Amino acid sequence: MEGDTPVAAVTAASQAVAQVAHTGFALVMDKIYYFIMVPMVYLAIAFFIAAIVVKIVKMIQAGAAPYQLAIYPLPKHPKLAALRDTFGMTQIRKKNPLFWFFLMMYHLGFLLLFLGHLDLFPQINFVDPASRHMLGAGAVGLMVTIPTFYFLGRRFRGADRAISTPGDYLFLLLLLFLFLLGDMISWGNSWTANGFVMTKQNFAQYFDGLARFTFADPRLVLHGSHYHFVVLHVLLAELLLIVLPFTKVVHTFFALPLNMVRRTIWTRK
Amino acid sequence: MDAKMSAGLKTLFETKLNGVMRMYLDTCARCGNCVDSCHVYASMPETKYTAVGRAEVVRKVFRRYFKMQGKFAPWLGEVLEFDDDTMDKVYEAAFTCTGCRRCMVHCPFAIDTQQVMSIAKALLIGADKEPKILSMLADMSIAKGEGIEETRSDYAEALRNLEPEVRSLWPLAADGTPGGIAVPYEAKGADLLYVPLAGSHSIVSAAAIMNAAGEKWSLSSFEAVNFGAFVGDSSKMKKIAARIVDEAKRLGVKEVAVVECGTAFRVLRHMIGEQPFRVLAFVELIDRYLAQGRIHLHRDRLPERTTYHDPCQIARNSGVFEEPRRVLRALTDNFVEMTPNREENWCCGGGGGLVAMGEQEFRMKSSKVKADQMRASGATVVTTACENCHSQLSDLNEYYGLGVRVEFLSHLVGKALVLPGESWVA
Repeated sequence: MEGDTPVAAVTAASQAVAQVAHTGFALVMDKIYYFIMVPMVYLAIAFFIAAIVVKIVKMIQAGAAPYQLAIYPLPKHPKLAALRDTFGMTQIRKKNPLFWFFLMMYHLGFLLLFLGHLDLFPQINFVDPASRHMLGAGAVGLMVTIPTFYFLGRRFRGADRAISTPGDYLFLLLLLFLFLLGDMISWGNSWTANGFVMTKQNFAQYFDGLARFTFADPRLVLHGSHYHFVVLHVLLAELLLIVLPFTKVVHTFFALPLNMVRRTIWTRK
Repeated sequence: MDAKMSAGLKTLFETKLNGVMRMYLDTCARCGNCVDSCHVYASMPETKYTAVGRAEVVRKVFRRYFKMQGKFAPWLGEVLEFDDDTMDKVYEAAFTCTGCRRCMVHCPFAIDTQQVMSIAKALLIGADKEPKILSMLADMSIAKGEGIEETRSDYAEALRNLEPEVRSLWPLAADGTPGGIAVPYEAKGADLLYVPLAGSHSIVSAAAIMNAAGEKWSLSSFEAVNFGAFVGDSSKMKKIAARIVDEAKRLGVKEVAVVECGTAFRVLRHMIGEQPFRVLAFVELIDRYLAQGRIHLHRDRLPERTTYHDPCQIARNSGVFEEPRRVLRALTDNFVEMTPNREENWCCGGGGGLVAMGEQEFRMKSSKVKADQMRASGATVVTTACENCHSQLSDLNEYYGLGVRVEFLSHLVGKALVLPGESWVA
């Protein structure tokens, strides 16, 4: 059946091209692409985990605050209140409901995005593995892309502009390009007749290779000229993992403990 | 600024980096939710007067000296090096913040700007650029503690001169007799140590109220106010508080009641660790006396429309919200709330040492929102339970022509005490 589709034709052509030994610039690009698509994936993940662990250990070793820093009135259930503050962002909902809406959409989207990538491993299936649709069929990408446009846009006006640093803009641009490339891949497969040249099943093979540490060249399973976009998407994801421990995104790890500090009484006398 | 000074300031900065502080410095997403939380920004909308604007000054120094970004890509975070210009920014950040922590109520990550400003204040002390008046007042408090034995008899003498004033509010002494001592001092066996401010206004009404309640109390030798906390010198803050802690331990009291002074109360309640005595705000004590029926109040002495200003350090930073309201409802049928109130109340604009520093023009302009709030309440009497707030609200009243009367709760209670033999309506 696949043999009847244009994808199959592209696959066949790509496989034929792959048989041709590259030389010169093409060879250099092949090596760079391979490094990005395989070894650097492991390096970026390892770096991210190590940097976050070091950061958390540093925080713990630095010791507690010298005295209580709670805000009153105290909730009846401080832990629940801290969870509500952290995951419900009640402070933002009260003051800026539109911002809150986009933040909730974004964070939920990010969670689904994570699950959607897990779904690409053949061993984990949230969606029927035979389906050409990725988790959310492209909607998950929108859930993070649209809010990122909003987050970026709001930094160009009023007080938000005044409190923003160059790093804030660059980080949002990194996210935006990462998401847009991801959107191209997932939308292509979900919403267009011919699909993205590489199918979800091809990505599953690539992810399987990573999970099994085969160090096989992804080019053997990811065919067609769209490969450049996939490489760029993976590169931006790796950059995100590498810089993330040094950005404000560490709030992923510290928002809950900080909200616990706000909601907890240490001394009563 | 030379390299030695710069290195010294970096070391000083590092001493403030406990785990929570590191999270405060790392986590801010600059979401802007705190921007309009600050009364200064609400009155004078400039970025430097936002919580995030102030904290960013400290964060930019943090990034420069403690983050890789400072070494490899300083432009990303617009880092700041230690120099005179930076220290001017640090000063402006630290001493335009009253430490009210209203921004912390609105921060999704619960970042405490007062804590971040404690770094700024420590740096200013290190650079010898802190407000000298606050350091001087802190030193005087410490010196008073060291020389207390030499001044004790003079103080006792001065207290005896206050007795007629106390008796004008409540005729009996602390032991319930007409001829006893109305202002007990160094009283062995006292259950409660009352810590006043410098000035009889903080003693007279409180003494009458405690005598009326039949409290076994003793007056502290020391003023509660803690200029060490205002200037941001934790060592001096502890020394100033330690005078009172030592006195309370020596007298063996079960409780320490702190005069209507927000910072003094918060320092003693929350910043000195566990102690063998309980710390109360004086308004909590009044509320307890009323609940226990130990004092009764005339409700016809305060017919005017009356409102209450929640002092930041007593209310959102220490949890005393309902006690003053119960006291006011015992005093008047004409109590109205300010809007917003409780943890959302606007700071008066006089905290963080600003009243002691003078800073009249800044205090008035930066607290326009407070004046508007007072006016909008429609009240003609504004009550509070903090000396700093009282001074600032009084200044605002005059500056903005609000035409209100600013009162301490304790003074109103002292004047409304139902005297022995008087009839009253419950």
